[in-house]
Amino acid sequence: MKRLQDVEHHETEDLYYPTMCKVTGAKQITEMEKWYELEMPEGQSLGHGPGQFVEVSAFGIGEAPISISSSPSKNGKFELCIRQVGTLTNVLKNYETGDMMGIRGPFGKGFPMEKLFGKDILVVAGGIGLVPLRSLINYVLDNRKDFGRLIILYGAKTPSELLFTDELETWKDRDDVELHVTVDQPDETWKGNTGVITTLIPSLDLKLNTTIAAITGPPVMYKFVVMSLKSKQLPDDQIYLSLERRMKCGVGKCGHCQINGVYCCQDGPVFNYVDIKPLEEAL
Amino acid sequence: MECFSLLRSDVPALIDHLRDFGEVIAPHGKGDVSYSFEVVRDSSDVVLDYNRTLLPLKKMFLPPVEKLMGFSLKNESFEQVEVAIAPRVFFGVHSYEMQSILRLDHSMLSGSAESNYFKRRQSSRFLGISFEPDEFHFSESVGIVIEEMEGFDLFLNEVDGDFQLYVLTDNGQEMLNGFDKINLTEPEIVEGRHFKKKIRYHYNRLPRVFQYAYHSDVWADVASRCVGCGACTLTCPTCFCFDVHDHVEVTAEDGMRQRSWDSCMLSTFAEVAGGENFREKTINRTRHRLFRKFKYITDEEGLPWCVGCGRCTAFCPAGISMPDIVNELIQEDEKAQYHRTVRV
Amino acid sequence: MKPQVAFFDFTSCEGCQLNKLNFENDLLDILKHVDIVEFREAMDDKADHYDIAFIEGSITSPSCVERIHDIRRRSDILVALGSCAVNGGVNAMKNLHPIDEVRETVYGDDKYLFATLPAMAVSSVVKVDYEVRGCPMTQQDFLKLLIALVLGKQPPKYGSPVCVECKLKENECLYNRGMVCLGPITRGGCDAVCPSFGQFCTGCRGILDNPNIDGMLEVMTSHGISLDEAKKRMLLYNSNEVQL
Repeated sequence: MKRLQDVEHHETEDLYYPTMCKVTGAKQITEMEKWYELEMPEGQSLGHGPGQFVEVSAFGIGEAPISISSSPSKNGKFELCIRQVGTLTNVLKNYETGDMMGIRGPFGKGFPMEKLFGKDILVVAGGIGLVPLRSLINYVLDNRKDFGRLIILYGAKTPSELLFTDELETWKDRDDVELHVTVDQPDETWKGNTGVITTLIPSLDLKLNTTIAAITGPPVMYKFVVMSLKSKQLPDDQIYLSLERRMKCGVGKCGHCQINGVYCCQDGPVFNYVDIKPLEEAL
Repeated sequence: MECFSLLRSDVPALIDHLRDFGEVIAPHGKGDVSYSFEVVRDSSDVVLDYNRTLLPLKKMFLPPVEKLMGFSLKNESFEQVEVAIAPRVFFGVHSYEMQSILRLDHSMLSGSAESNYFKRRQSSRFLGISFEPDEFHFSESVGIVIEEMEGFDLFLNEVDGDFQLYVLTDNGQEMLNGFDKINLTEPEIVEGRHFKKKIRYHYNRLPRVFQYAYHSDVWADVASRCVGCGACTLTCPTCFCFDVHDHVEVTAEDGMRQRSWDSCMLSTFAEVAGGENFREKTINRTRHRLFRKFKYITDEEGLPWCVGCGRCTAFCPAGISMPDIVNELIQEDEKAQYHRTVRV
Repeated sequence: MKPQVAFFDFTSCEGCQLNKLNFENDLLDILKHVDIVEFREAMDDKADHYDIAFIEGSITSPSCVERIHDIRRRSDILVALGSCAVNGGVNAMKNLHPIDEVRETVYGDDKYLFATLPAMAVSSVVKVDYEVRGCPMTQQDFLKLLIALVLGKQPPKYGSPVCVECKLKENECLYNRGMVCLGPITRGGCDAVCPSFGQFCTGCRGILDNPNIDGMLEVMTSHGISLDEAKKRMLLYNSNEVQL
């Protein structure tokens, strides 16, 4: 147990003050999502890993946990992609280049890259789940020779909700990326796959001993994706999931993100499936 | 460890003496039948015999509502909040309350150590006092006896209406310098103070009970009585969950970010922006509360995160009793074990 | 341009409107943000379009229905003010009795001259964008909403019971004083003003979502009032919301 006398003053932190970061780029990329590029003050770098998140703050409104969508290999700046679903995110949509955004973090455990080196990476992204996974994808692409295959499964409700469409095109054209995109509700222009994301899994040819799956999506998606992967005999400990909870403080104090005994903001948001399988509140 | 005798009538003089070491905070009467920790203005107002305060002493280190920063909407800037580090003396604290502060230290200082809490917690001295357990106290069942002196600098043990004053630390020694109304004496064991409320098992057996309690029928029964007011967690001395919100002045130019105590018993606690609620039903929340006290942190730290103060029970409008729930889980577990044995 | 704001009253005691006039200290700041164009208690003016229309009172007659539709058509944002407008409030107690009986009691032989409807929340007739609860609504709560709308953010929603704010103020629980209080299941946001002054909560801000009604009745009766009385207390402000 940590005791008061074990703690020195300099070891304590002002946990709740944001760092004001300048918005250096902003673009509405779908009806619901806006992309931002931000810059830390005085040339600092955010120093994040793929899968980590920040607390974004707007004074007078509050804070919300937002996944970092850029690769750590991108120097100096970092990117966020924010869906407009709550009070804060609805206000953030008005932020443009030159505005200042409050940032705390990065927080949490991202994907354990040391365990991913040399492996085939299977990315399974549902909807806005592509945002944190884009950080991973771009990291893999920037360090392409350190990894095996890169298989990306991406599902959205409708074609108009697909994120990062320019990048999807680039990934599609690369011969070292296997990209499969599907939509639940196609429109008349849609020529690709139709159906939920799990429909992409059965036909995959995976090397079981060397494949690592990274899954992010809406809460309802996880069980089904895990089930499909297990029916392909992929071992549990090769599956990583990034979970969404109400991570209010980001530093393991406020209690809102707790999944049974585990703080999502500290022990996650990226978990190995083995570690959350016994947690009844996880999936 | 030195021990002195002190007359009950001389306690106000001791309190006045302690004011040299900082602001003295002590239990006072509040309302018709309640108590609260307040800054001492007049030492004769201090209550020596009380069952429990409405809010725990935690409120002095982790305030119920706390300004985290001020901000200006116009300049998109914030200003930091200075947390004063004035020395304080906490007088008349019960052993379970002191134990709750030690647990709170762990919660706020392990992992990321919070500076606000640390600053308030520094330069605080504690004088404990014995108490007569009422129908709600059950701290002995979680390993905390009335005379548990860990964490205190001084401790007042009531003996036949007067007190024995134990000096436990150098700070305690220092606090008595120049106070002449005490006489060296032999420590006495006080008999006859008994806890009326008990958990049937020693607390080191509870992790096993809780290991099998997740799907117990007890939760549904508790949930049917619980009205979801959050009183249990808001008065709990070891709970530390909070919420953060921004308050804007009517000028719409300035404001402040505040945090306030929150409760995992409230239905909106685990809701995310998209509307998903990860502990939507009362049954999920009543279970979470007890698992927070007896399983999750306990597995890691080896101690129950409940100190047996009885507040959650005493202040529950529905009369839901924490030790009763635990005893029901024990009973159910015994039944289950019996059935397992018979089947074999 | 500053938002054009108007206030309208329906069936109510107009106490919420009077509460607004007590803003002495903040009134000038408020007028920095908005132009008040219609306010029967304070002035007399008419406009074709309102950015924000504040509605006080419940809908209780066919003419009310017509008028609220007209206001809704002319308003961008419509806010229900006070418990009458939000859920029917005390007016809705009449809905517990047959409507003819109610008319006869009130108007006697002239009952056929007065058309009446069950007392309805504004939201049961037109779309309501936001609400300020309470009987009367508190100034503080009203200001929070107004500032939020001016800043373009969502006004606060209160999902926690009155007990939360009461506990944070370290009030002695009124149950410990032998009173029966609706705080545990009543929507907070009032800063627990009544219990802070020793008055039990009467539920004026409405009942929380998914309340444990049976549990609450048990709490109330176990503290010394009859089941009948407990139900009456619960219905006082919430006849439209609670099914007993």
